[in-house]
Amino acid sequence: MIARWVRRKLEEKLRVSRWGLRKLDERLRIASVVREAVAKVFPDHWSFMLGEIALYAFVSLLLTGTFLAFFFDPSSGERIYAGDYAGLHNSRVSAAYASAVELSFDVRGGLLVRQTHHWAALIFVAAIVTHMLRNFFTGAFRRPRELNWIIGVTLLVLAIANGFAGYSLPDDLLSGTGLRIANSIALSMPIVGTWAAFLLFGGEFPGESIIPRLYILHVLLLPGLIAALIGAHMGILIRQKHTHFAGPGRNDHNVVGSKMWPTYAFRSFALLSALFAVTFALGGLVQINPVWLWGPFDPGTASAPAQPDWFMGWLEGALRLYPPIEFTVFGYLVPAPFVPGVLLPGLTFAIMYVWPWLDRLITKDRAAHHLLDRPRHSPARMAVGVWALSFYGLLLLAGSDDVLADLMGLPVLTVMKTMRIVVIVVPFLFAAAAYALARALRANPEQRLSGLRWKQIRKSDVVEEETRHGGS
Amino acid sequence: MRRPTPAVCLALAAFALTAVAGLAAANPAHDPVERGRQLYGASCAGCHGQSGEGFMTSPSLRGVGAASADFQLSTGRMPLSAPDARPHPREPAFDHQDIAALTAFVASLGGGPQVPAVGPGDPRKGRTLYLASCASCHSASGVGAALPGGGAAPSLLNTKPTQVAEAVRLGPGAMPAFDTKTLTEAEVNSIIAYIGTVRDEFRHGGAAIGGAGPVPEGLVAWVIGLGVLILVILFLGRRAS
Ligand code: HEC
Ligand code: HEC
Repeated sequence: MIARWVRRKLEEKLRVSRWGLRKLDERLRIASVVREAVAKVFPDHWSFMLGEIALYAFVSLLLTGTFLAFFFDPSSGERIYAGDYAGLHNSRVSAAYASAVELSFDVRGGLLVRQTHHWAALIFVAAIVTHMLRNFFTGAFRRPRELNWIIGVTLLVLAIANGFAGYSLPDDLLSGTGLRIANSIALSMPIVGTWAAFLLFGGEFPGESIIPRLYILHVLLLPGLIAALIGAHMGILIRQKHTHFAGPGRNDHNVVGSKMWPTYAFRSFALLSALFAVTFALGGLVQINPVWLWGPFDPGTASAPAQPDWFMGWLEGALRLYPPIEFTVFGYLVPAPFVPGVLLPGLTFAIMYVWPWLDRLITKDRAAHHLLDRPRHSPARMAVGVWALSFYGLLLLAGSDDVLADLMGLPVLTVMKTMRIVVIVVPFLFAAAAYALARALRANPEQRLSGLRWKQIRKSDVVEEETRHGGS
Repeated sequence: MRRPTPAVCLALAAFALTAVAGLAAANPAHDPVERGRQLYGASCAGCHGQSGEGFMTSPSLRGVGAASADFQLSTGRMPLSAPDARPHPREPAFDHQDIAALTAFVASLGGGPQVPAVGPGDPRKGRTLYLASCASCHSASGVGAALPGGGAAPSLLNTKPTQVAEAVRLGPGAMPAFDTKTLTEAEVNSIIAYIGTVRDEFRHGGAAIGGAGPVPEGLVAWVIGLGVLILVILFLGRRAS
């Protein structure tokens, strides 16, 4: 009796809510979109989740960053630090520095969140780079996905820029050193240098404006842009469908994998949880950027070793290795930091942007692809990728030449001079080796890298010739 | 078993004391300078000469004073392994008492600065002074760093207060000596107090991974951070297919 009554009531409620949803959908037309998204198929290969690590790192950054914004005071104005840290107690320092130390000593949970935020930032950029390498070596950037490749490169640039801005906010000695280098790089640009530096810093270095400006960039403009571009990136991804690796039953017109709901959603949620677990574990257990030790920025003091975060480290390495040469072009003096500080990153990102079209020149393949290449498929692409990986990796290493020297017990100057040669020569050797290996692997498709024989590497060109002849 | 009465305890203690005193009186080496002379003859004279006059690369010890001897011995720099070796800090070769004896002997060779006394200092002032005068070589976190011209400034985290006070005045190796005009005694005390603060807070926030800043941090982010997450997606990918 009662049971029937309850059921009737429930059915009534359901009818009402269905009616409500239908009316809503008549206006928003959302059901078809949701249906499509829920039915979207995700490939199962693990490497498709690399970008998702970056996505969730960004989520973690937004959450922890919001907490930090409640306590951080982005101002160069001086005030007294009155917190617990004995080394700074009752000292006059900039409000930015004082509030960063307060977050580390006096705000409950502040240090955990500060450190988690910083670890998540390092992992964010690392995940973007790894995701990009996967797309590069498998040719995922090819037609019709050039646009998403370009958005991806832009996301990398924005992530690096935002990392640098955030790292510079606490106004400590290390970040001040970084800003001074940024200032001298801006100044080194011919013609527009002084103007650019003044525009950025609002006057002479260091000035009062840079911290508030970096803050607006760091918490509003850059994250806003990143969020918008992530939206576009994923919108395009859904529209174009995923790529996938070749295999039985897989072709250019389908995607084999798991449906968005429920299979993939749960897998993705597991990754989100893992990301929070890893970033918070690092934030709680491993110290990062102890600004209280670096001290407030003071143009008169220095600490060694002084490095930027890893994603700027390759630029630091280039600046350290580049000899102090100045030259004139069309009567304009080009100071030494211009080549490593402006030209190198400019060229680097320019080439990354146009890579989908450069790749067409190399592979002579202009067709649309939805099936991924195996990395071995294009030895030339492999060689370029390995060259770039080792070149920028070695620059990153050169950025820590003093730490290396300390570890190896060698004079810094010796390490630096050696690295100058290593950075030029070794990437070409690696690229040549990668080319030969990729070619041998391509000739032996069932072979793995670990099982490759010397004979197969040497004979790979012969085998390729034979297969080509056999095919024709 | 019955516990010994207090009277028995006292008697035993008195016996032990007289025995030790008797032994000490019988042993001429109880006089620190005399004991120092013996140790010096065995471990130092080969390089620095019988009466500390110096020889070849080994400097004369006359007038270097107790401060220098205490610093060299307590940081384990002396005795050097070879006359042309580079002195560096390690486990001291002698115990506390023998270092005092050797120091007394070197001081007896003639004059020189005493072992400095370290008083309380203000870590706040010490921070400013440390960052301005010492961090460029020893690093802000005190872990030491390579020097541009080769060699390295050692870590200060295990250095004792007296050794810091001695080093500031002596300027060992490539380090400049700071006189009392550049850094007053109170300022040195403050620097020492600050090094104590750095040591206390060294692990604030977790494992200090070398205290060397972004280089080890980047390594941890890639290897542990991204590394673990890649293992996670490998696992998720394997479960799926
Ligand atoms: C293998 C040779 C050698 C031995 C053994 C040795 N020294 Fe030295 N000592 C040197 C040299 C060389 C220097 C100079 C080091 C430098 O480059 O600063 C020196 C420096 C010193 C100084 C610093 C002098 C100054 O100018 O302030 C003191 C003090 C000293 N030694 C004490 C000792 C004592 C005490 C012993 C014995 C426990 C000892 N040394 C054993 C070679 C030796
Ligand atoms: C120019 C670089 C430089 C500066 C500046 C400098 N040091 Fe040093 N310091 C060194 C070097 C190099 C050594 C190792 C000397 C040797 O070869 O034995 C050293 C050694 C020391 C030691 C001995 C450590 C040990 O355990 O043996 C102490 C203590 C010390 N320095 C404290 C200071 C303090 C305090 C300041 C600032 C007032 C300072 N130093 C400034 C380079 C420097």
